[in-house]
Amino acid sequence: MRRSVQTRGFALAVAAGLALASCRATNEPSVRTVVHDDGTRELVIRPLATGETGLVVRAGKIVTCDAADTLLAPGVLVVRNGKIEALGETCDVPDGFTVLEFPDATLAPGLVDLHTHIHSGSFGDINDMVLPVNPEFRTSPTIVPGNRLIRRGLSGGVTTLFGIPGSGTSMSGFGVLYKSKLDSTYEEAVMADPGGLKVAQDSNPQREAGDFGVGRGALSWILQNVNDRAKAAVRDGQVEPGLANLAKVHTKELPILIHTAGSDGITNTARMWRVTNDTRSTLSHGCFDAWKTSKAVIDIGMTVNNGPRTIEWVSSREGRVIGISAEYLKNGAKNLSMNTDSPVVAQEELALQSAMSSRYGADDYTMLRALTIHPAIAFGIDDRVGSLEPGKDADLVVWSGWPLDPRSRVELAVIDGGIEYDRTRDGQIF
Amino acid sequence: MKLRNLLSSCAALALASLASAGDLVAIKAGHVETVSHGCIQHAVILVEDGKIVTVGKDLPIQRGIPVIDAPDLWVVPGFVDAYSRVGLEARGSSEFNPHVKVDAEIFARNDEFRDALEAGVTTLGLYPAGSGGMPGQACVVRPAGATAQEMLVKSGSYLLFVFRSDARSKKMLKDAFEKANEYVEKEKKAREKWEKDQGKKKDDKKEEKKDEKKEEKKEGTAAELQDESAAQEKKDEKAEKTDAAKGYVPPEADEKVKPFLDLRAKKLRMLVTLFTAADWLHFSQALGKEDIGYDLRIALTRDIDVWEVAKPIGEKKLRVLMEPEITTVWGTLRQRNLPAEFVAAGAKLVLLPRGDAPSIFKNWPRHVGEIIAAGLDRDVALRAMTLEPAEMLGVADRVGSVDAGKDANLLFFTGDPFQATSKLAAVMLEGRIVHGEVQQ
Amino acid sequence: MKSTIHDTRIGKLLGLATFLGAFAFATPSFAQEEGGEKKDEAAKNEEKPDEDKWFAVINADVFPGTGGHFRDATILAKNGKITEIGVAVDVPDDATVLDAGGLRVYPGLVAYASAGLFGNASSDFADTVNTFSPNLVMALGNGITTAGQSGAALKLKRGEVDGVLLKEKASTLLSYSSQNPQGKRSLIDKFEATAAYLRDYRAWEEEKKTNKDAKEPPKKDSDATILQVLKGEVRARFQADDRDELLGIARLAQKYGFRPVIEGCREGWTVAEELGRAGAYAVITPRDRVDKSEELVAAGGTSIENAAILRRAGVQIAIVPAAKGVDLGGIAGRDILALAIEAGFGVRGGLTNEAALEAITIVPARLLGVEHRVGTLEVGKDCDLLVCDGDLMHYETFVQQAVVEGKVVYEKNKELFYAHIRPNETSALAPPTRVDKGQEGAAKPADEAKDKDEKKPDEKQDGKDGEKKD
Repeated sequence: MRRSVQTRGFALAVAAGLALASCRATNEPSVRTVVHDDGTRELVIRPLATGETGLVVRAGKIVTCDAADTLLAPGVLVVRNGKIEALGETCDVPDGFTVLEFPDATLAPGLVDLHTHIHSGSFGDINDMVLPVNPEFRTSPTIVPGNRLIRRGLSGGVTTLFGIPGSGTSMSGFGVLYKSKLDSTYEEAVMADPGGLKVAQDSNPQREAGDFGVGRGALSWILQNVNDRAKAAVRDGQVEPGLANLAKVHTKELPILIHTAGSDGITNTARMWRVTNDTRSTLSHGCFDAWKTSKAVIDIGMTVNNGPRTIEWVSSREGRVIGISAEYLKNGAKNLSMNTDSPVVAQEELALQSAMSSRYGADDYTMLRALTIHPAIAFGIDDRVGSLEPGKDADLVVWSGWPLDPRSRVELAVIDGGIEYDRTRDGQIF
Repeated sequence: MKLRNLLSSCAALALASLASAGDLVAIKAGHVETVSHGCIQHAVILVEDGKIVTVGKDLPIQRGIPVIDAPDLWVVPGFVDAYSRVGLEARGSSEFNPHVKVDAEIFARNDEFRDALEAGVTTLGLYPAGSGGMPGQACVVRPAGATAQEMLVKSGSYLLFVFRSDARSKKMLKDAFEKANEYVEKEKKAREKWEKDQGKKKDDKKEEKKDEKKEEKKEGTAAELQDESAAQEKKDEKAEKTDAAKGYVPPEADEKVKPFLDLRAKKLRMLVTLFTAADWLHFSQALGKEDIGYDLRIALTRDIDVWEVAKPIGEKKLRVLMEPEITTVWGTLRQRNLPAEFVAAGAKLVLLPRGDAPSIFKNWPRHVGEIIAAGLDRDVALRAMTLEPAEMLGVADRVGSVDAGKDANLLFFTGDPFQATSKLAAVMLEGRIVHGEVQQ
Repeated sequence: MKSTIHDTRIGKLLGLATFLGAFAFATPSFAQEEGGEKKDEAAKNEEKPDEDKWFAVINADVFPGTGGHFRDATILAKNGKITEIGVAVDVPDDATVLDAGGLRVYPGLVAYASAGLFGNASSDFADTVNTFSPNLVMALGNGITTAGQSGAALKLKRGEVDGVLLKEKASTLLSYSSQNPQGKRSLIDKFEATAAYLRDYRAWEEEKKTNKDAKEPPKKDSDATILQVLKGEVRARFQADDRDELLGIARLAQKYGFRPVIEGCREGWTVAEELGRAGAYAVITPRDRVDKSEELVAAGGTSIENAAILRRAGVQIAIVPAAKGVDLGGIAGRDILALAIEAGFGVRGGLTNEAALEAITIVPARLLGVEHRVGTLEVGKDCDLLVCDGDLMHYETFVQQAVVEGKVVYEKNKELFYAHIRPNETSALAPPTRVDKGQEGAAKPADEAKDKDEKKPDEKQDGKDGEKKD
């Protein structure tokens, strides 16, 4: 092994049973831990009841990305009915469970990408360029579950995506949170529709036709105006179908992902979406020289979703090649996630986005969390995805090595307990 | 003219006795920057026939001599802009035309000369236009005169080579000297043939001629002095050639070859324009071991990287021509004062105005002030606007400093010329106030 | 981690160190076709007699790129050429010594194709290269010491012009495209005619020995370029991706007996055996991504396993990133600077680490015709090497020093680009260390003062010259 980075930052789990056993509604404990005479701790699992499905994955290493940064080496993970039931060191597997053995591989949570445009299978995401704000739009009609780009993403370990409209207008509509299921109905693949709002600030939504909204001042007015209209409608008890979802943003029921970049751009964004309108907002991109003002944004509680640019050299004119993620972390970002803005960066290269962040100075393990638990927390889906913990969706990825290393390949990807990609079965896609 | 020699040898005394000789004017100034020999407080400059007769501290002035009384003013030599396109036709070539002289392009009555003069530029090196290659030879003018002839101070001052890192530029230089070699071979053969035909010894003759030359030297006019300084640099070989001239006629060199023979003979300098550090590498490689006198104009742009080669250029004690600009290191906001850096590395500095527009001429000292503030030595800066370009242009015998024998090209400032609050009160060109006013 | 450069005198290094891997360095086995180089060296020696420049890297974990690995080894170079690699190497007193302090040393990387590393230079490289270009420095910082551009091989000799152009042109681009059936036909005809001529010519050469009156065969429709290809003087290069084209090229190569270089080669994995039999070389971007045409029955499209499959079939692989130039727009990991990262994707597809390293060192060196100079660390070759703080192909590894021809041309600590990233203890950005007040330290300021004093009189002299003229 070249260095110890792979284990850096982990608290090795030694507690008996890891307090991971969860209780089912039956009040009957599904899992208990037996400590043998030789000191080994074994999970004892309740056999499958009729109609239940079960999967056990044994791996050389399990990186859970839970709050305690638990690492199991080796480890075993038990799945029942699509949910993670338990994690431990060893287990006796009752009949009926499918058992998968990866003694030399690393099991990690499925990766989450909050900024993607591949849901239609091509560049066909919505971007209505007539009106500057479209709070009534959703990407749901454009989603083609299991398309080839999603499959490629899956072969790169991506299991959860936020499929959003483009950034051509200031408020381009609502996106959908969905999983990389290849053989499912739309309903089975989708986690939330709408999953959140997409807003674009700074250069992209500038109205180049020359009507109102060429400059940043008017763009800001346009955005605040639609916020004010939605708030007024709620206050006055009016029914405004086009603004109903936006009202959910104001009540923090739905998160927002804001396309914004540059030092002035991100502070403007933070002021509008955290101060003027108190919302659950995530800064997306945040590139160019935005790292210079990142502290101001982080301090008022904004989460950051960096990508597709991971380095900066041109606009800062510092001479040094700046790792954008490293700067956000240095400035105190507690919740940094990475994106591909796919297809700007190929969906399957999400892990490389973190690898490049590590290369340019960010902490390597934090950059794995930036692909798993951080985006899940930012978008309020950490009860289901983002880490390997009992009770969560069984979205698992088995890697031949450390997940961020470009040399590691995905051996297996499981979503909701179902094997969606198996390298030996399907052939290596990425 | 003969008087001048006398005067300079016994300054004050002679001054008094010649009070009535006419066309004299004395300048009393609080502060005279001679550039050649420091700064003189309470100085007196005596000017006759447009030339400085003497300069010194608190010299007595004979009654009757008109006096310019400027106790509060700072007097500096007229500025010399070594690289200008003032009053010239805008078009140029980028071909190989080393024989073309820019002199013929001069529009004598162009207002631009007046603008330059009023801003204190009393000597201009005019270069032939060209975005590449060798567009021709520069000349030196005084920005006054009804005809180009009246303006011309020196023709064939330097050969301009706008060098770029490309095969064409390098080949152009190598080919030119290759052609010169061919001529040298040809001339050698012709001479050998002539010598053979003559069958005579020429050593005696040679001695005679040298004596003659010494005599010539003794009575030198200003114009001849210039030739003389050039002659000092001449090699014996060249002298021999002239000696032989009576009987032996060397074959005529092609007009495109001649400049390169002149370069080798140090009768002509080359001004090489560089845009990047790499240009220097390629130019040096192309020049090889060729021994010529050359200066470098470095076209400063925001992110120019020539600091990479400041050391080798400085070590060669080369002269660099630059505009007073602060540049940055590429990709950064780190500022560099390249003129100061090159001086520190050992190079000689000539400063140029940032352009040829009247407003730029007017702001020239202020622009230089900016890089003085950023670390360039002030006296080096003043020299870089006066004596250094004069030497580069080969007219230091006439202009560039406040010294006896030189043209009375003087600038009267209300304070230190590099202070933004100082004003150029008057410009004197060859003893006459041509712009502004001073107390008489 | 420690790596510093001293000019101090280091005496004989005793071979106490352990040593791993094959000690197969006794004699270099590569062909010596460097008459030109030798002349150059001779010329250099004429200029500066008795001034051999010695350079040594000590305490290094050396991965020479030939298989195997030396621990705590020394690489010694004289005038830019490696003279010794091993654990018991005598380092001359006047050598410049780079202490790699246990870091890893690899051969400098060879980018098969690049753009913009030498400023705007795109042809006439000897006369146009800008070796101060920031791109060049960044490329060195990412391990590239030799780069192909427009078919030429260039050395990243920073701040120099002489010797940058290693080889003008090692290959000729032939077109064999399914889009152009006529062109294909004409190429095949040319090969046929040229091969026939070559056969006749060789027969004539034989016959000449006995029969003085033998007639030289007519050239007819033979093609001069293809003649060079068939004689093995120049490599034939193709840009081809489709299975159909690749098969065609393989058959052409087998029939006429030459080894084609195929750039792209995206569907190569579907015809790997054929390409292997044809002795093909493939220049591959493992991350290339093109879907298979649904019209075709046979397998097709790109595969991440392409490099590995081809390699297993005997095809020599060179790896290049998708973008030939340096991209500082912000999206990292896809441009020429990501050469080692791209090789890592080859490993992802099943290539061994060794083969992946070869794909960015010796194989591209061969394709550029400079394998006798660069591509591995071997005695007799150029001392172009990298000191790295880890596995070259790991994404966090940085080149700490890059050496070209025995000269340190890049130091991470001293350049703006990456010095701030995981600075090591000798970095300019690291906390200041104790100032050495030894003799050497004391001598320097005095020398500087002397220099200053020397400058002043020179300037004064100039002033005097001016006076004299008056």
